[in-house]
Amino acid sequence: MFFRSYSNSTWTRRTFLKVLLAGSTLVASSPCTASMSRESRLSAQVFIGRTGSYESNLRNVIERGLQELGISATEMNGKKILLKPNLVETHMASAHINTHPLVIRAAVEAFLSLGARQVVVGEGPGHRRDALHILEESGLGDVLYEDRIPFMNLNEQVGDPVQNLGQCTALSTLTFPAVFRDIDWIVSMPKLKTHHWAGVTLSMKNLFGVLPGLYYGWPKNVLHHQGIHESILDIYATLKPHFAIVDGIVGMEGDGPIMGDPKPMGVVVMGRNFPSVDATCARLMGVNPHNIPYLRAAEGWLGAINEAGIEQRGEPIRAHRQDFALLDHIPAQQGLRLNE
Amino acid sequence: MNEIMNPSISRIHCFLSELFKRVLSAGGVADHLHGRFRVDATAWAMMVLKTQDLESEVVKVAGDRLLDYQMSDGRVVIAVDHPEAVWPTPLAVLAWQNSDAHYDAWQRAVKFLLRSTGVHWKKPDNDTVGHDTLIPGWPWIDQTHSWVTPTSLSMLALTVAGYGEHSRVTAGADLLLDRQLLTGGWNYGNSSVLGTQLRPFPETTGMALNALAGRVPREAVAPSLRYLQGCLPTLRTPLSLGWSILGLQAWSSSPAHTEKWIYETLERGSRYGGHDTASLCVLFAASLATKGLESLVRHNVD
Repeated sequence: MFFRSYSNSTWTRRTFLKVLLAGSTLVASSPCTASMSRESRLSAQVFIGRTGSYESNLRNVIERGLQELGISATEMNGKKILLKPNLVETHMASAHINTHPLVIRAAVEAFLSLGARQVVVGEGPGHRRDALHILEESGLGDVLYEDRIPFMNLNEQVGDPVQNLGQCTALSTLTFPAVFRDIDWIVSMPKLKTHHWAGVTLSMKNLFGVLPGLYYGWPKNVLHHQGIHESILDIYATLKPHFAIVDGIVGMEGDGPIMGDPKPMGVVVMGRNFPSVDATCARLMGVNPHNIPYLRAAEGWLGAINEAGIEQRGEPIRAHRQDFALLDHIPAQQGLRLNE
Repeated sequence: MNEIMNPSISRIHCFLSELFKRVLSAGGVADHLHGRFRVDATAWAMMVLKTQDLESEVVKVAGDRLLDYQMSDGRVVIAVDHPEAVWPTPLAVLAWQNSDAHYDAWQRAVKFLLRSTGVHWKKPDNDTVGHDTLIPGWPWIDQTHSWVTPTSLSMLALTVAGYGEHSRVTAGADLLLDRQLLTGGWNYGNSSVLGTQLRPFPETTGMALNALAGRVPREAVAPSLRYLQGCLPTLRTPLSLGWSILGLQAWSSSPAHTEKWIYETLERGSRYGGHDTASLCVLFAASLATKGLESLVRHNVD
């Protein structure tokens, strides 16, 4: 189920045909490198919802976002949905490392209210084999137990290799959990954070966590050796996940993804097209998405990152932009600032 | 000296009963109740079942099943279509230890560990990670860097196999000491990134302490022992609690009364439909051993 047809994605038929027709010229290069020179012909809608705190009615915010983005009960009816939060590590007074449990609860309620058959939560933390410990210490374990929502440790799931459709890395295949065959919709639920290797970590980087540690290790060092930006693109291009809900209520600035400082933003960002969602998040953080290598490469291939290609719903970016601290000693964060 | 403690009979029955439900008719052990065969679950189950001096046929057949996952160069992989995922090799060495029926496989796995290493390079002066990237250890996945868990387990496996003085094991100890956090403990294996000290994890700290026991003076790991002693009472997941107890045991620093925590951890498994087999076996090992994992496996040998 998770290998969607491009015809159902944000790709237009024209774009798809363009890539197919261009196939002969792409043989010598990958879709990844070829895309960098193409102009964007994609467009997407991204919703920014405002909320005061985690104690606010988050379900209402998410439901409004789903409505604004045209996600109807008809589309959701009977679907089994996987919510993939960002669970990395836990530490006292560092709740801003992980996607907040109440955002996940709100998403569960919103999807179920639209008629989803089942919602499950799955994550494969990149640093720790003991995912259960992160689940419990983050508070998500209690929320899922109370709501009777199953948790899948994606690191421990067996899987089968499938062709790498991105071809940005040298990996000929990627191995996703076999249980994804029973999933109709994959929803990435990252935290709005800076990152010491990637510049930012948002809905696309969050997908590292779907690859089982059984085959990629702890950390998922296979991907680091192949290139973080290249791996991000390959995973997204091959998995074709369906939706993103970014927890930007309290983000992380500076030395993310684990050692940074909390950054209250009061927003939830949602959309079907991940490059567009991440580009919007970057602008909210005062980061120029064109200076993030994986987003620049995705433009015109996997999604739109130009402002002109993104139809903004809900709150305007300008009203909520707060420049995240970018550190001089972190190379990946240099030169990212979005000019006024 | 008795290096295997005697937890209550009911506790042993509880563990064994749960474990035998996961033994597969085709041989080996499933990853979960009603789950599928898994190499690491099978190796761990063999290690703990051997301590009970029973069901030797189950252990023998489980050991046979592991043979299906050994490649021609001796590595034991998590799946045959992922020959790069070499991390179960030290577990297989520990599981096959002293098994006449699996001697050849054991020997080939040992040789693989002795000649394999992670990818290592000389870091430039302005490099961003704090550790010495040249010290050889073992990786999770072939052709990637060496990390704390596979290095610790490979050191333990080679030590039990009689190669404790080998230069690779000595280098492994150097790697672990180099990556120990200044504040104590280990994480996956990066002590600092871009000048920022990272935070420790209980399970990897427990593994590293097991691997270093008897090799370095106590002062060298004292902050790590303090870290584990501090967090132990709060741990209620099998991997973290089990490895923490084993790590402290290896340095004769485990609290006397861990039974209540082990019981609570087992009970908490019902929230998740039961714990996975490998984690359960780590907890069982912690419950049985008195001086760390090595003592448990050596009892199997003796």
